[in-house]
Amino acid sequence: MTSEEIKDLILEIIEDIDDEADFENLNPDEPLRDQLDLDSMDFLDIVMELRKRHQLQIPEEDYPNLATLNSCATYLEPLLRNV
Amino acid sequence: MKFPLLVIGGGLSGIAAAIRAARFVPDVLILEKHSRIGGLNSYFYRNKTLFETGLHAITNYAPPEEKTAPLNRLLRQLKLKRKDFSFCQQYQSEVTFLDTQSLLFSNDFSLLETQIHEKFPDCIDKFQRLLIFLDTLDPFLPAPFRSAKTLLTEVLGDKLLTEMLLCPLMYYGSSHENDMDLNQFAIMFQAIYQQGMFRPQTTIKEFLDQLITHYLSFGGKIKKNSKVIKILHKNKTVVGVELHSGEIIECDNILSTIGNDETQRLISSEPVTLLPRLGFTETIFRLKADDRLKLPEKKTIVFFNTSEKFSYKKPTDYVDYSSGVICFPANFKGIEKKSHFEIRATHLANYAKWKAISTDKKAYADQKVVSSYKTLTCLQNIVGNFSSNIVYENTFTPITIERYTAKIDGAVYGSPQKVKDGDIGFSNLFLAGTDQGFLGIIGSMLSGVSIVNKHVLPKL
Repeated sequence: MTSEEIKDLILEIIEDIDDEADFENLNPDEPLRDQLDLDSMDFLDIVMELRKRHQLQIPEEDYPNLATLNSCATYLEPLLRNV
Repeated sequence: MKFPLLVIGGGLSGIAAAIRAARFVPDVLILEKHSRIGGLNSYFYRNKTLFETGLHAITNYAPPEEKTAPLNRLLRQLKLKRKDFSFCQQYQSEVTFLDTQSLLFSNDFSLLETQIHEKFPDCIDKFQRLLIFLDTLDPFLPAPFRSAKTLLTEVLGDKLLTEMLLCPLMYYGSSHENDMDLNQFAIMFQAIYQQGMFRPQTTIKEFLDQLITHYLSFGGKIKKNSKVIKILHKNKTVVGVELHSGEIIECDNILSTIGNDETQRLISSEPVTLLPRLGFTETIFRLKADDRLKLPEKKTIVFFNTSEKFSYKKPTDYVDYSSGVICFPANFKGIEKKSHFEIRATHLANYAKWKAISTDKKAYADQKVVSSYKTLTCLQNIVGNFSSNIVYENTFTPITIERYTAKIDGAVYGSPQKVKDGDIGFSNLFLAGTDQGFLGIIGSMLSGVSIVNKHVLPKL
């Protein structure tokens, strides 16, 4: 997956969690949580969906890497390179 | 086959936990002792009429746009769509003490503030200070028991206001006699006064059916009439359960929602030392609608106390009629008027006394009639006369509640000792629901979800 595809994947997962999520003014370098009103429970959903869809095991200490859309792409790119 | 997760108890916390897990792993299995799910919030039929049990109102109301509110967060976690539910908000509720003082509250918190300002003018500034204090408190941080009553008395400086504010919160979720844990108070203060109350437009049956259909759509499974008689374990790891039928079901994880002591009884045959629990009676009156009835139409729940000193503790007699809760399930915004409607009332009761008399069928039945009559008298003094319109009435004693919910002593709020993190010393057996400490329908469902998030999902 390319960096852009990964960002799409994350947005798709978030949309699935909250179908009214507004991506219009989303800043890819700002925390997703604050911009989209997500809490830690929603965050776990992103992790669980990545596991379900791509068998990715993301250890808890790596969760901060998923804070922004760009950091998600950076962190996940090597893990999803062959997808 | 071996199940990745068994959920013991098909009440709302168990159903929520099971849905949450089934979203990510197939083959979750709920084991329910009874022929019907719902646990404390269920239903029964008499003369082809459905009667709800348990549910008065759901606390924690939030409008759809408040995304981080517990209600919406819960729906998201379960992947349920808010628009698939019709929620009806309360009109207005009341705390009334001794016929002399009353506080109205609704889903608009400013009503309660105005009421306190009018009726306890010396206390309104102190009440505002209480709000600021509650805002700074994180009630989910583990803490030893702190008395809410002591704190309120200190901050408000008024015994009557303290008791009036505590009364609804105690009746809707305190397993402690005459007091509440401060964290529990803060959670319930927000749930009841600041967020408010609502109910589904449909009956609890349809609400439960909706949840179960959703659960089954994720591949979840449910077995009713399946009483667990033993949790099978090797040291501190569980391997499965034995059912009443003799069937053995193997599993990787168990989430028990049936209560802590109730779970311990399935683990070991050693007797469990029980802390005192609070029992209740619930009386249902079904009435024929009639224009001449002068009952409140825009009042949803009435919490009352008629004695000098409000007492929230186990009564010495069968029932303490001096305080209680009256619910008008038809008095929510958007509930259609029908030819019949119900009034429900709850009082504190003495389990041991009811247990003793229940061995004599006739005496027990007679005592139920007495109880129902006294409740009626008490209600009519508060809301007006309606006895001539009653078409059906029934009283549930702590014995009835024990039989149908399997809660020790029929104590709906469980043990006074809560296990906040759900950890009961096993590597793969956890506790959710009533004895985990979140109460009410939204609370118990979030309890199921959060324990699955914390202990089960990371391992699957």
